[in-house]
Amino acid sequence: MKTVTIDPITRLEGHGKISIFLNSEGNVENAYLQIPELRGFERFAQGRRAEDMPQITSRICGVCPVAHHFASTKALDDAFNVKPPEAAKKLRELMYCGYIIYDHILHFYYLGGPDFIVGPDAPPAKRNILGVIEKTGLEIGKEVIKHRAYGQKITSILGGKATHPVCGLPGGISKSLNKDETKDIKNMADSCVEFSKNSLKIFEDIVLKNKEYVDLIKSDPYQLKTYNMGLVDNENKVNFYDGLIRVTDQKGKEFVKFDVKDYCKLIEERVEEWSYMKFPYLKDIGWKGLKDGIESGIYRVGPLGRLNASEGMATPLANAEYKKMYETLGGKPVNSTLAFHWARLIELMNVSERAKELINDPEITSTKIKNPVGEPGEGFGVVEAARGTLIHHYKLDNKALIKKANLIVATTNNAGAISMSIRDAAKGVIKKGKIEQGLLNKVEMAFRAYDPCFACATHSLPGGMPLQIKIYNEDRKLIHKIQR
Amino acid sequence: MKTIVIGVGNPILKDDAVGVHVARELKKFVKDSNIEIDEAYTGGMNLLDLILGFDKAIIADSFIGEKEGEIRKLTINDISSSRSLNPHGLTLIESLEMAKRLGETKIPKEIIFYVIILNEYPSEFGEELSAKVGSAIPKAVKMILEELSNKK
Repeated sequence: MKTVTIDPITRLEGHGKISIFLNSEGNVENAYLQIPELRGFERFAQGRRAEDMPQITSRICGVCPVAHHFASTKALDDAFNVKPPEAAKKLRELMYCGYIIYDHILHFYYLGGPDFIVGPDAPPAKRNILGVIEKTGLEIGKEVIKHRAYGQKITSILGGKATHPVCGLPGGISKSLNKDETKDIKNMADSCVEFSKNSLKIFEDIVLKNKEYVDLIKSDPYQLKTYNMGLVDNENKVNFYDGLIRVTDQKGKEFVKFDVKDYCKLIEERVEEWSYMKFPYLKDIGWKGLKDGIESGIYRVGPLGRLNASEGMATPLANAEYKKMYETLGGKPVNSTLAFHWARLIELMNVSERAKELINDPEITSTKIKNPVGEPGEGFGVVEAARGTLIHHYKLDNKALIKKANLIVATTNNAGAISMSIRDAAKGVIKKGKIEQGLLNKVEMAFRAYDPCFACATHSLPGGMPLQIKIYNEDRKLIHKIQR
Repeated sequence: MKTIVIGVGNPILKDDAVGVHVARELKKFVKDSNIEIDEAYTGGMNLLDLILGFDKAIIADSFIGEKEGEIRKLTINDISSSRSLNPHGLTLIESLEMAKRLGETKIPKEIIFYVIILNEYPSEFGEELSAKVGSAIPKAVKMILEELSNKK
C-alpha cells in the first residue's frame, strides 16, 4: 500500500497530519486526519474547585474560550441545581452572540472564505485575507476588521477581556450593563446586521452568480450524507446558547431530540489505533467505519450541521436566507461540505439580529443577575461553539470539588466526517498513482470548510510550517515530496 | 516611549506556558509606568490587538528547536511569514501584514521576540514546567530587563 502523507497541518509539528492511503491500483483507499488530542484533562481537573472551571476551561483553547466558558458555567448551573435569572441568561446569550460574530467573520473572510472569494485555483499566496482585500477592495477590508472588533468588544464589555472571560458564575453572571455600554452595544449590533447583509451580498455576487462555483459546491467529491446535529429552541430553530440537541437523518427527518443529560446514552466514542482522536457516533446506529449513509452513526456538527438539524432560524433576515440556501442547493438536507461557508454567513446574520433583539430587550439592564446556588452534585452543560456542539460534564463532591470531568469538543464531533471529506477530495485528484496538480488545494478546501480547531497550544511563533505532501512507495519509503 | 511585554502560551499546558511564566516573573521587577506587562493565552489577530498603540512590543514565547531551554532573541525579519495551515491560525506575522495594508497606524515601531526553545509542544495538561525549561526563566527575565533598560 502506498502512503501519501500531508503534514503538518498544524503548528503542532509531529502531531497533526493527513495521511492518504492508496490501494494496489494507486487509487485512494482511505484518508485520515490525525488531530493532536491533548491528554490528561480529567486528571488535571480532579480536586479543583468547581467554580474555577469556567476560567480553567476557557484556557483550554485560545480560539474558543467563550464557548468553553459558557458550556462550563451551564454545567455548574446544573451541578449546583440553580437556574440563572432571565436577565443573566440574556446577558450570557448576548455575549455569546459577540463571540460567534467575531469567530464567524474570522473564518469567512480570513481563513475559509478566501478559497471562494479569491478562487479555488488561485495561488495559495493569494488565497488569504490580503487576496480578499485585493478582490473586494480596501473599504470591505476595513469593514471586516471593524466588525470583527465589534464582536470582540461586545464580548469584552460583558465578560472582561475578550479572550479570557471571567463573568460566568453558577446561577448567573457577575456583571450587569450600564447605560453607556448598552448604547454602545446597540450601535454595534445594528452595524453588524448591516455588515451581515453586505457579506451575504458578496457571497451572492462572487459565488452564487458564478456557475462554476455553484457546480463545485454541488459536485460529488464534496457531498457527504451523514446525520446532522445541533442545538434547537422550542420551535426547532437554531440556538447557540441553549435548547435541546436535535439530530436529523439523511432525509432531513428528526432522528432524535435529547437533553444534554442523556448524551452518554446516545453518543459513543470510537477509538482507532492510528489516531489519538476519538470518533463520536450515534450509539443506536452504530460504528460502521468511516462511511456515510443511514446505516453509519457518523454525524456532522457546525454551521451546516446546525442548519440541517433545525427547521429554520429564529430571526427574520437569517431565516429568509436559510430558505434561499435550501432552494438554491436542491432542498433539505444540504450535504455539500462547501455549503458550510454559506451556512456560516447565515449564522452571522442570525447572531447579529439576535444581539440586536437582546440589547433592545428592557430586561437586559436588570441588575437581578444571580441566584443563590444549591447543593453540589452532577452537572451537564451544552452550547454550540462556532464549529459545533460542545459538551461539558462534571461530577462534584460534597465540598464542590471536581470528582470527574468529561468534555466533548466540537472538532471531535466532526472527526469522522472531516476524514471522509479529505478522502473524497483526494479521490478526485489521485488516480492510478498519478497525483494531479491541485491536490493540496482540494484537500485543504475540504477540511477548511469545517473550520476545525486543532491546536490548543497558543503561540505567536513560528509563522506556520509549509504544507507538505510526502509520497511513499509500498515499503513506505519516501519517493516524492511536494511542498508549498 | 510606551512598551508592552507579553508572555504568550497556554497556561495549563505544561512547558507551553513558559512565556506566561516569564511575564509573571518580570512583573516583580518592573515598576515603570511606561512599561506594561501582560499575558496572552492566544495568538495571531488577538495578539496583534494587544500590541497596537505601543511604541515597542516584546513578546516572550516558546519555539520548537533542538536545544531545549536555550533562549534566542528574534526580530520580525527572522520569522517566516509562510502561511499557517491551521485553519484557525492566522499568524501574528500575517495579521501584521494585513494591518499594514489596511493603513493601521498603531503598529509598534519595534517588535522583538524572546523565545525559549522546546523540543516539542506538550500534549498533556498540567501547570508545572520541566526543569530544563523552567530554569531558563531567570535568564530570559534578565535579558528582557536589559532590553528594557537599554532602549527606553
